[in-house]
This record gives sequence, C-alpha cells and structure tokens, in this order.
Amino acid sequence: MNVRKAQVSFVVGEDRRLSEIISRSEIESLLRSLVKAGPVWAAVLDEDGMLLCRQGADTGLVPLEEFRHALLVEGEPQGTLVMAVDPSIGSAGEALALLARDALQFTITNNLKRMLTTEIHTTVVKESYDQLVETNKMLTASEKSYRDLAFSLEQQVEERTSELQKAYARMLQQEKLAAVGSLAAGMAHEINNPNGFVHSNLVTFSHYFERMRDMVNFYQMQIANNIPLHKLHLDSEQKRRELKLDYVISDSSELLKESIEGTERIARIVADLKSFSHVDESGYSDADLNIELERTLSVLVPQISPGTVIVRELQPLPLFGCNPGLISQAFLAIIQNAAQSRTEALKIHVSSRCTAHEIVIGIADNGCGISAHNITRVFEPFFTTHEVGCGTGMGLTVARDIVQAAGGSIVIDSVESTGTAVTIRFPLVK
Amino acid sequence: MIEFDEQRKRIVLKLVYYGPALSGKTTNLLTLHDLLSPEGRGELMLLDTTEDRTIYFDLLPFFYVAPSGMKIKLKVYTVPGQVRHDATRKAVLQRADGVVFVADSQPSQMTVNFESFDNLEKNLAMVGLSIERVPLVVQFNKRDLADSVPEDDVRTAWGPSGVPVFMASALKGWGVMETFHEVLGLMFDSINAQHGLTARFGVERELFLAEILTVQR
Repeated sequence: MNVRKAQVSFVVGEDRRLSEIISRSEIESLLRSLVKAGPVWAAVLDEDGMLLCRQGADTGLVPLEEFRHALLVEGEPQGTLVMAVDPSIGSAGEALALLARDALQFTITNNLKRMLTTEIHTTVVKESYDQLVETNKMLTASEKSYRDLAFSLEQQVEERTSELQKAYARMLQQEKLAAVGSLAAGMAHEINNPNGFVHSNLVTFSHYFERMRDMVNFYQMQIANNIPLHKLHLDSEQKRRELKLDYVISDSSELLKESIEGTERIARIVADLKSFSHVDESGYSDADLNIELERTLSVLVPQISPGTVIVRELQPLPLFGCNPGLISQAFLAIIQNAAQSRTEALKIHVSSRCTAHEIVIGIADNGCGISAHNITRVFEPFFTTHEVGCGTGMGLTVARDIVQAAGGSIVIDSVESTGTAVTIRFPLVK
Repeated sequence: MIEFDEQRKRIVLKLVYYGPALSGKTTNLLTLHDLLSPEGRGELMLLDTTEDRTIYFDLLPFFYVAPSGMKIKLKVYTVPGQVRHDATRKAVLQRADGVVFVADSQPSQMTVNFESFDNLEKNLAMVGLSIERVPLVVQFNKRDLADSVPEDDVRTAWGPSGVPVFMASALKGWGVMETFHEVLGLMFDSINAQHGLTARFGVERELFLAEILTVQR
C-alpha cells in the first residue's frame, strides 16, 4: 500500500452542482432581461427539478407555450431552463429560448473554467508553499546540526590537542627514560668496576687484619707470662716472619689507598651523573654549554668504544639562559649517535665557538654517515635505522624540539660512509 | 475514480493523457473532439495557456447513460508536460482510472520520454496508485515525421512490458481513436472487475464503448 506523501486538498475533476457553478444573481439578471424581451415568465431548475430562480408570473389570461432546454455541465444535463410565452408572439419564442439557453450555457462554461483554473492554481501554490516550508524546515534543522557540529568540533579539537600534548609529554619522558636507561647500563659497569676491586681489597684486608690481631694477641700473652725480654724479642721476630707481617702491612696500605681511590671514583661518577641530569636543579638557569658538553662526554665514556679519539675544540662561551638538563639531553642524543656510527677507529670532534650573534656547537664524526634518502627523515618521530627494540627513533626528534624550544636551530650534514656533522646554533639575545 | 454514488447510480471516471512536453497530448484531445459525435460529450475545455502550451490541463468530458439508468461520466484530462509543472501533474493524476502515455517518436526525444515515464511512475506512487495496476496504454505519436524512431525498435523495447503500444499521428488524426478505444476498454474491465458494472448495474461493455466512440457524421 502506497502512502500518500503529497496531500492535495481537492481532486481535479470533482463534480459540481449547477448551483455551485452559477450564482442566483447571475441567473436572475439574465432571466429578468429575458422576461423584458417578451416571455411571460422564465425559470431555471436544478438537476433534481427544484426551482433555482424564476422571473415573471403567469397571469392565467391565456394558455402559454412552454420551452424547455437542458443546461449541461461537462456534457451532463444538470439543470433546465423553462420559459413560457404567449403563443401570439410566434417563432420569436423559440429563438428567445435558444438564445437564453446559450447565454446560460456560456456563463456556466466560463464560470467552470474560472473555478477549475483557480482551484488548480490554489492547489499548486499551496503545495509549492508547503514544500518550501518543508524545505526551509529541513534547511534550518540541517543548519542547526552543522552549527552544533562546528561548536563541538572546536571542543573536540581542543580535547584532541590537549590529548596530543599529553601524549607528546609522555613520549618525551619515555625518551628521557630510555636515555637514562642506556646511561644507567654504562654507569653500572663503570661503578661495578671500582666497586669490585674495593670489595676484593677489603676481603684481602680482612685476612691481613686476622694476622695483625694474632700478632697483637701473641705479644699480650708473652708479656702476661713474664717472658724475658731477649726471648720475647726472638720469639716475636719468628712469629712475625711466620705471619709475613712485613708484607701484610705494606700491602694493606696499598690496598686501602687503592680502595679509597675506588670509592672516590664512584663518588665522581655519581657526581657527574647528578650534574649531567641536573637532578638538583629545576628548569631554567644560565649555563656554560662547554661544561654541559664535558659532562655529557664524561657520562658517555662507558658507551664509547675503546680507541675512540675524542677531539675537543672548545672556545670560551658566554653563559646561555636555558634548561641545562634538557640541553645536555640533546647533546647526549647527538653524541650517542656519533658514538654508534662506527665501531673502530672512530673519531669524534666536539667544538664550540661564539660569534657576536650566536653560540655554535659542532659535533662531527667520521662514521657511517646518513643516506640522502634517510637524511630528510631523521627528525621524524619514531624513525630509526637501528633494529627494532634497539632505538626509540625519538633521539633526534627530541633533540630538535629541545634546541628549538631554547630558540636555537639544528642542521645535519652528512656524506654516506664518510661522516656526519651536526651543527647547533643558539642565538644570543641582546 | 472521482466519484461513485451507488444510490444515484452515478460514476465519474478519470482518464489522464500523460507524457513529455510537446508530445501531442492536447492534440490528441483536439482530434478526439473533432472526430467524436457531440452527442453525449461536453465541450473541450482548454484552460488558459501561454504560447499554446498547456500550463494547467485540458478537459474533454463524456456522459453516458446506460439503458439500465446507470450514468457514467468520463473526464479526459491532459497534464502539462514541462518539468516545472510537476505539482499540477500530481494534482491531475489523483484518482485516475486510466493513463495514456503519449511519447514523442523523434529520436532526440527518447531521453525525455524516459524521464517523463519515470516521473509518471513516481507521481502515480505519490498519489497512491501503482503503474503495475492502473490501466495504461502507450502511444508513440508524430509517426508522420520522417525521422521517427523505427516501429520495430519501439515494439522491441516495449514488448516485454506487456503494455499496449499504439503508433499515431494526432496531427493527421490517425492512431488516436485506436489508443482511446484500447484504454477505454481496459478502464471498463478494471472498474467492472472491482464494482461489477455489468453484473450489478447493467452496463454492457460493448454498448458503452460504442456509445462513447460514436464517430461524428
């Protein structure tokens, strides 16, 4: 069953009664004129034979002659014209009746035409208007939904942006942790080494200490037994030789000296790490970038393969306002890359200089270099040439972000299998 | 059906001539008007037109009284073919009992024919009628033109649909009566099946058709 979508208020072709098409006054004026022209009376009846209108009256003086003509609506007889004349007027009666019928018929047809035209026009206009109203309603709704969308879009963008910022902060933190992790591995080795020999020295020293205590106990016993002095001298000399005390004492002082040095080394490593990480500082301060470079190199030593030549060419630099902890993290990432660029006969050249406008830091190596294809991607997050799990792909990304945050710029020049030069520039604000 | 008054024994039917602009719908009605006897039919009513184009509709009414006293009024309409008058087409199509689709035989008009037929199907559905069920006859008009699409092509295209197809030249006056006769028969059968015109109201098919189709002497 089809649902009617368009509602039209009337049906084209709906039948109409004669009285709906032609008005009483229209008939009346026509009949009045007719009666003036001769007939005694004239009337119009509807389709059921009911009187619609009548003009003139039967005087009853003479018998009248009646003429009847059907009035057609769309070919269907819907009424009758009745006219009575005095037969004495002759054939004029018939002519008048026909004339009157034609006049009425003409009026009916024209009225009907006008009604149909008006009706269909009204219907079409109404439907078009309804459609316009409907369209307008839809447009308004759609506009509202777009406005809502635009509004919520702004909110969504804000939410997503803050999510992204948080994610980026987390990523930075992870990169830092990864850097700390690889540092920690090197540091652990570096600390384990002195810690190992300090421990071994102390174990040896505890054996020496037993012997020294034996010697002291021997003396106490001899003195308590009132042994004569010359015998005591001889016995103790023999005991001393048995315990190899001369060697023990000289070796002990060597052991302790070494151990003290070892713990000092550990202390220094911890201090380096602490100063590198700027764990005691928070945020912004004036820093000497040369010192930051040195600290970075010192914590990196365990990660740099033996035999590597590190050339320092550091000119005095003015203090630079920055976050030293972050700057050294950037240096670390770059120098780490250099350290990994070659396993043997590696040469790393670290330089710094200062012009009137800027501080320029250079870190160059004679390593494997970066291919022309890859060099455009090195700053991309998560881009790495290391095997999965060996690099985060975030080192240079973070380094660039740190340098840029400090108002600086970073440029990498590289020739494959010849070496890479990284240049960092920090403008000096006057 | 416009009206069905059992008590007054009166039924008013509607036949609509549909089709693209300038395919000859009004000419069909004019030709019917000229050919058929004025007995039992009304005058052709051409509603106001601009530049000879139908903008509302044309109406040719017929009135038949069966020997049983049953009155059948048949109103034959045209619709405006121009796309912009869709609302008028919809209004005229309401409660139609039969449709003649007048197509233009010129090869350039084939797309227009198709679009108009598509529009007919859509509008029939909108007024609650189904193109599958409504008595429908297709007339390929303007066959007098030299470049008409070949009849074989038309028959091949329309054959599978089962819809009766007539070739006509409304201007020359041929094919018009055949189209009208066919659709009238289909309409009678359809109404007869639903309301028992013959069984309940004593209206004989052949008598009805012969009366309406009486040719002017």
